[in-house]
Amino acid sequence: MIANTTVETESPEEFIEEIEKTQNCLPKKIDANPKTVEKGLAKLVLTLIELIKKLLEKQAMRRVEAGSLSDEQIENVGETLMKLEKKMDELKEIFGLKDEELNLNLGPLGDLM
Amino acid sequence: MNSVVAKSKEVTLLEILDRVLDKGVVISGDMVISVADVDLIYLGLKVLLSSVETVEKLRGSPFTSPVQEAR
Amino acid sequence: MKLYLYGIIDSSEQVKESIYGLEGSGVYNIPYCDIGAVVSEINQPIQKVTKGAVLEHEAVIEKLMENFTVLPVRFQTVIEDRDNLLLMMQSYYNDFKDNLDRLHNKLEFGIKVIWAAEKIRENIIKALKKGKQKKLEPDSLQGRKFMTEKFEKYKIDKEFRAKADKFIRVIDIFFSKFAAEKKLGKLKTENLLLDAVYLLEKSQEINFREAFEHIKSARPDFKYLFSGPWPAYNFIVLSKKSGILTDSQQTDLLDKVTQNRMLVGADSI
Repeated sequence: MIANTTVETESPEEFIEEIEKTQNCLPKKIDANPKTVEKGLAKLVLTLIELIKKLLEKQAMRRVEAGSLSDEQIENVGETLMKLEKKMDELKEIFGLKDEELNLNLGPLGDLM
Repeated sequence: MNSVVAKSKEVTLLEILDRVLDKGVVISGDMVISVADVDLIYLGLKVLLSSVETVEKLRGSPFTSPVQEAR
Repeated sequence: MKLYLYGIIDSSEQVKESIYGLEGSGVYNIPYCDIGAVVSEINQPIQKVTKGAVLEHEAVIEKLMENFTVLPVRFQTVIEDRDNLLLMMQSYYNDFKDNLDRLHNKLEFGIKVIWAAEKIRENIIKALKKGKQKKLEPDSLQGRKFMTEKFEKYKIDKEFRAKADKFIRVIDIFFSKFAAEKKLGKLKTENLLLDAVYLLEKSQEINFREAFEHIKSARPDFKYLFSGPWPAYNFIVLSKKSGILTDSQQTDLLDKVTQNRMLVGADSI
């Protein structure tokens, strides 16, 4: 005889908080309202740029770790990433977007972010 | 404590919603009429709930409450 | 009369006890070969997702679980009529049969674990600071300074994820020996260390629950959530994405697409 299904936890509130966070990761559907279209598209574009930036950074970090970057390369990569980050911050501010809004939940690829 | 019971019910509901709305057999095709809401899961499961009806309102059910909450 | 579909069962017989579903309608089994679709008649497909309807739906499935192997169907799956339902069954028969055979006598359990991510990070930072031998030469160059800071964060993140992997592996070892299949969701959020589902033979439920108690006492500083038994929501594998096309129809369609590609020139697609 199967017992009735139960959900048991001593910390329901904490789990509610975390579960809800996992559900807000996909972009909301694109609203065709002209006022929000711009913001929606900006969000999409910036999310993708953010993703590429994070991938590049991760690559760079791996090479720093392996010691395969020269001093000059470290300086150049650093400067480039810095400029990119500054530009992203400006764009985020212009479109009123927060960091959390640009986080794609990629499932198994989620490690990238 | 009352709020612990309420929170327990809430987490139970979230667990059920996650399975019932997003998992299991998903059949697509012309013969299936699915309510639009179910495909909008990305709005967040709780946002989809449009009214708070309790299990006690189930009519003529010969079985007891389906899911027991944590004590 | 539209048919609201709850689940697919491994039986062509009638459901013995009275079960009531949405709109208070009686639930019954529509057989197809050696399996069946459990439905109830519905006047109006519900326009909104309500808590009551969801719980009613889940209640029906739990009732079915007592006597059958059930492939639970997604909430709000409504079929136009009996004929369409049988077409659907024909289309999905092999998929359904495979899953029913594989999932026979098995139950799903969910385990979620929360850890204190912030504390873990703090400890990592402390440990890394201790290990620091010399201070890097003053970073007058901006790019280099940026990279150094990024690298610090990178090391912390890496250590953080390594710790998570370690704990998850230990937790998983406890459960794996009783499970036929599993799906592990790691670090879905900073604090949600693990969101896992395990598929077990019914006979293993007690062992599994015991293992859970062991883990709780081994790491009382973590927070735990245990759910189940569920029908195998997370372990259903369907090869068909849509139930419409038969194999020959799919082949025809593929042929047409291939022909078009050749006409247009495959490079331009």
